[in-house]
Amino acid sequence: MEPVLEVNGLRVEYRGDGRTVVGADDVSFSIGAGEVFGLAGESGCGKSTIANAVMRLLKPPAEITAGSIRFQGRDVLALDARELRAFRWREIAMVFQSAMNSLNPVLTVGEQIVDIFTTHERMKKRAARERAGELLELVGIDPGRLKAYPHQLSGGMRQRVVIAMAVALRPRLLIMDEPTTALDVVVQQEIMAQIRDLQRELGFSILFITHDMSLMVELSDRMGVMYGGRIVELADAKDLFAHPLHPYTEALMNAFPPLTGPRQELTGLFDAPRTADSCGFHVRCPEDRSDCSTNIPDLREVAPGRWVARSGAHSPEGASR
Amino acid sequence: MTEPLLSVRGLTKDFQVGTVFSRRRVRAVNDVSFDLPAGRITALVGESGSGKSTIARCLARLEQPSAGQVLLDGEDVLRTERRRASRAYRRKVQMVFQDPFGSLNPVHRIEHFLTRALVLHGHSATPEALRELMTTVGLTEDMLQSYPHELSGGQRQRVSIARALAVEPRLILADEPTSMLDVSVRVGVLNLMRRLRDERNIAMLYITHDLGSARYLADTTMVMFAGELVEGGDALAVMDAPAHPYTRLLLSAVPDPERAGSYDPVERAKLREAILNPTSCPYGDDGTCSRTEPVRHIVGEDDGQPHWVRCHLRAPASDIARRVLKATDRPDGEATDDTDATEKAETTAA
Repeated sequence: MEPVLEVNGLRVEYRGDGRTVVGADDVSFSIGAGEVFGLAGESGCGKSTIANAVMRLLKPPAEITAGSIRFQGRDVLALDARELRAFRWREIAMVFQSAMNSLNPVLTVGEQIVDIFTTHERMKKRAARERAGELLELVGIDPGRLKAYPHQLSGGMRQRVVIAMAVALRPRLLIMDEPTTALDVVVQQEIMAQIRDLQRELGFSILFITHDMSLMVELSDRMGVMYGGRIVELADAKDLFAHPLHPYTEALMNAFPPLTGPRQELTGLFDAPRTADSCGFHVRCPEDRSDCSTNIPDLREVAPGRWVARSGAHSPEGASR
Repeated sequence: MTEPLLSVRGLTKDFQVGTVFSRRRVRAVNDVSFDLPAGRITALVGESGSGKSTIARCLARLEQPSAGQVLLDGEDVLRTERRRASRAYRRKVQMVFQDPFGSLNPVHRIEHFLTRALVLHGHSATPEALRELMTTVGLTEDMLQSYPHELSGGQRQRVSIARALAVEPRLILADEPTSMLDVSVRVGVLNLMRRLRDERNIAMLYITHDLGSARYLADTTMVMFAGELVEGGDALAVMDAPAHPYTRLLLSAVPDPERAGSYDPVERAKLREAILNPTSCPYGDDGTCSRTEPVRHIVGEDDGQPHWVRCHLRAPASDIARRVLKATDRPDGEATDDTDATEKAETTAA
């Protein structure tokens, strides 16, 4: 089956005066039709950089210096401005991190949704308004709220409106960058249920970005863990959660106090930033790391569909279930 | 247990909302009572809008409670200091806010914040004092010369904590101190709070919606729902054996791949109903809660701490009978003396 999105060897650099920071380095993954793919990692690991690269939203000083991004066989990096206008929102839509605050405060929710249809679909106002009402219903909000201003809605409702807007043009891929970070657990669970329902109904693929591993495993089919701009582990989400192979994956999972089991001291993630020539995390790794001393190793397939960036010295126990 | 440092009795806070023409009152906090003992971390958990931040703001004296008492060392501070908190109060009670990006003035160096806190409260801001504060919270001395924007979120939150520590408080009110921080630094801040409790015997009120961190950090956990405390007790006991339906719902909403799908939207809808109509709890089979308000029942004890819940479902059988009788004894529209009804019920039960 042909993947919807295929990212291959992507490298993004942020170029400053005399100093270059690598935001993403040799990142490769693909997302199949109707699949939910997750990217996890701490801030600064490059997960948002990837999302912005796929949307072609990167601006200088960021620059894509290597690799390719293909969406349904088309080369995304080769699209010109006019093609991009049609590509964004219709083919790939994005829900941003502070999506709740991305609504225009001086326009009603209805006006903002109608805008999508009149601009992208050249619909008449009246028809657009009808579609806008349907769209709100789709995410469980009373169409009467079309007349509401964003500040009259709760955080959870605003987030739903933003999600409804993102799927308005039935995109093939939805990118969600930390869609529930600012919300409390109960609202978060509702939003996640909503996303699952929508996905079942409309059949789009999802690129889901978050630092919350538990949340990600609940939603994703497959997932990648990023550290320092590289993917360090890539596998089926449940497998990865049950048997993490990379020490960073394990550390990320242990960064959240658990809800069950005995109470034990957590150490959190290590505070050593990655430098140009070393992994930064390797000081923490217990095993032989001879090939990590200069950079995070390349991903290797240790079992079917199970990739990990680790030196070859040890066997992937637990990987083969 | 020792005498609590701070006791809250019957705290109630109403807000007026709406314009002049449609003014109405919203009760954010309703008749809340609890103790904060020294050297212990008490977590207050609940979803957005449950009133937990209002409690913190009342205790920090940023809001004037509508009713109730706040006893600090046995003295009602609301009575002795009617409006704003005195400096003496602030010397004992300090607050750490949610947003480390908004709570530090960007035009000043870190040194300024700590110096100011020290001097205002009658300490001298010697280089040693500053250095000690910085090392206590895990920062280096050279960061004193930094501006807030040069620090990461976690480091800034540590500065906020250092600023609170400067006055040597006995109680720290921490309102979601980690919710805006990245995962990579969150645990570090939690561990710092725990160390301060152990080393300095500081009492802490830790307000959060992150149940995992409450379980990790707190000695005592209280659960808040629609402006009222519904359950409380030892932090592990409350999380591992929740007695109130709301606590169970809250726990089921936490993502956990090992028990995916335990969250029940129908339960959630019931709770929504209860928020809109706070006098009725949706869980009583026969709507007991809509007739009588539940009282605290002790359901267990751990480490000398009672585990209590406000729920009819957990009331001892005779208690339930008494309440139902009391409610049905009262004909519509006719006011019956409460003690009278209870007495009658008791004789029936006997």
